Amino acid sequence: MLFKRQIPILIVAVIGSLTLFGWFIDEPNIKSFVDDDATQWYDILASFAIFLGGFNLLKMQLQKVLRKKSGWQYSLFAIGGFLLAIIAGFFYIGDPNVAWGTHVTAKGTLFKWIFTYMFAPMQATMFALLAFFVASASYRAFRIRNFEATLLLVAGIIIMIGRVPLGSNISSWFILYLSVLIGGITVNTIFKNKQYTAIFISVGIIGVTAAGSSMGWPLDEPGLFYLPYLQEWIYKFPNVAGTRSIMIGIGLGIFATSIRYILGIEKSYIGE
Amino acid sequence: MKFIIDLILKLGTVDRRWIFLIIGLVVILPLYFPMGLPIRATNTTQQVYNTIDALPAGSKILLSCEYGPSTKPEIHPMVLSLMRHLFKNGHKIYVTCLWPDGQFLAEEALDLVGGEEYGLTYGEDYVLLGFRPGGEAVIKGIVSDLRKVYTIDVRGTKVTEIPMMEGIHRFEDFDFLFSASAGYPGTIEWVQYAVDPTNIPMSTGTTSIQVNEVMPYVAAGQVQGIIAGMPGAAEYEALIGVPGNATMGMDAQSIAHLVIVIFIVLGNIGYFIERNRSKKY
Repeated sequence: MLFKRQIPILIVAVIGSLTLFGWFIDEPNIKSFVDDDATQWYDILASFAIFLGGFNLLKMQLQKVLRKKSGWQYSLFAIGGFLLAIIAGFFYIGDPNVAWGTHVTAKGTLFKWIFTYMFAPMQATMFALLAFFVASASYRAFRIRNFEATLLLVAGIIIMIGRVPLGSNISSWFILYLSVLIGGITVNTIFKNKQYTAIFISVGIIGVTAAGSSMGWPLDEPGLFYLPYLQEWIYKFPNVAGTRSIMIGIGLGIFATSIRYILGIEKSYIGE
Repeated sequence: MKFIIDLILKLGTVDRRWIFLIIGLVVILPLYFPMGLPIRATNTTQQVYNTIDALPAGSKILLSCEYGPSTKPEIHPMVLSLMRHLFKNGHKIYVTCLWPDGQFLAEEALDLVGGEEYGLTYGEDYVLLGFRPGGEAVIKGIVSDLRKVYTIDVRGTKVTEIPMMEGIHRFEDFDFLFSASAGYPGTIEWVQYAVDPTNIPMSTGTTSIQVNEVMPYVAAGQVQGIIAGMPGAAEYEALIGVPGNATMGMDAQSIAHLVIVIFIVLGNIGYFIERNRSKKY
């Protein structure tokens, strides 16, 4: 019990406190521990974790094959890939002129071949599939059901079009005309009166046309309706405000959890 | 009118494989038949360009590659453009990687730009220190003592024997940092553990999806501009006057985005028609 409970809690409490105080105390030994030793310990532990993770993956896949669980055939590929990578990484270089260690990235080696002709295309393919699923999902699920969804949709469309060169070729006057039409739909929805709608749209179109003619129809003016400016504004202000609040929330959460670990209140890492 | 309404409703129930086919076509066709849409640099990309352009010749630049093959189309073109810009201005590039696959792509970029295009010498003008596991711990290690984290480069040469490593012991010995990042660990960790404690200027290039979480650091001045996704990479290519893969991909991305927006609009029209019909009955 002492080795499984008290000692791990003590290690976490001592190392956690030291690392935390290292940021606030100007003591060279503690600073050196935090900046150099602790990070090297972390590197060493992380290296062991890679081994543990690797062997755990192999064990799980082997169990799946031996017990013939559903989809066990896929596990054969996982085990095959795992063994191939181990052989290429530890036992077979593929080019006698390349030294161990450098064989991971050197041209002509088996490891590099696996990366270039297997790993890279497969990962790129998986990621590329996203475009198709995003298109299909947005067609079926992106609906204007309430105010929040409408806001999200409008912002999404402005970002999608405003970010690409196509957006910078769409005149702000086109967006203004479009806004007048959308305004007309809103007026019609609220008042349910065709006369009001017709008056709103007519006045809007005449107003936009008159303003455009007097200004000489510049592509990016008025800037409020130019999509690239609009998308930049969305990124810089509403997005930054929202992201900052999330970051502050996460920061406070990390702080609270860290304190719980240091004080020994949080013990999930020893299975409690 | 009834025909149009029926058509829109029919489109709402279309097999998703048709949508896949349309997306496939609108992505592939502009790659073969480019439209050459003009590219306008956004303020954040321009800021990266201006910051790098203002660095005195011979500056020591730390370039960290945190991306892999899945995000290569977005990040790799900006890394290539950045290297072209840096080498053109006579800077020295030191490359580290927080992602294991970043090492392969960094080497590819250095061989192409530093070796083939500029004919520069490895170890004198550019060096690839490679990947080390540990994320933030590696960053902290580089900040306090780089030579404890990196004793050899990817070619197995001792760091002490590499000419351009002379005088480089810690992060503060660099003049500028650029993080080409596709996620964790990446830009944000560099800001928190390296740039904020040392005040070394940094810029970044990220995937489009990451821009929103990095923007607060750009807005606060902790990061000098951001190259945002493939459009940002295309803008940087336009700024240095060397069009590449990002510029080529912009036509395809423009049309694909437009088609997705059309899908969304059609889907919503269909949704409203159906909702009105169900209210009536």
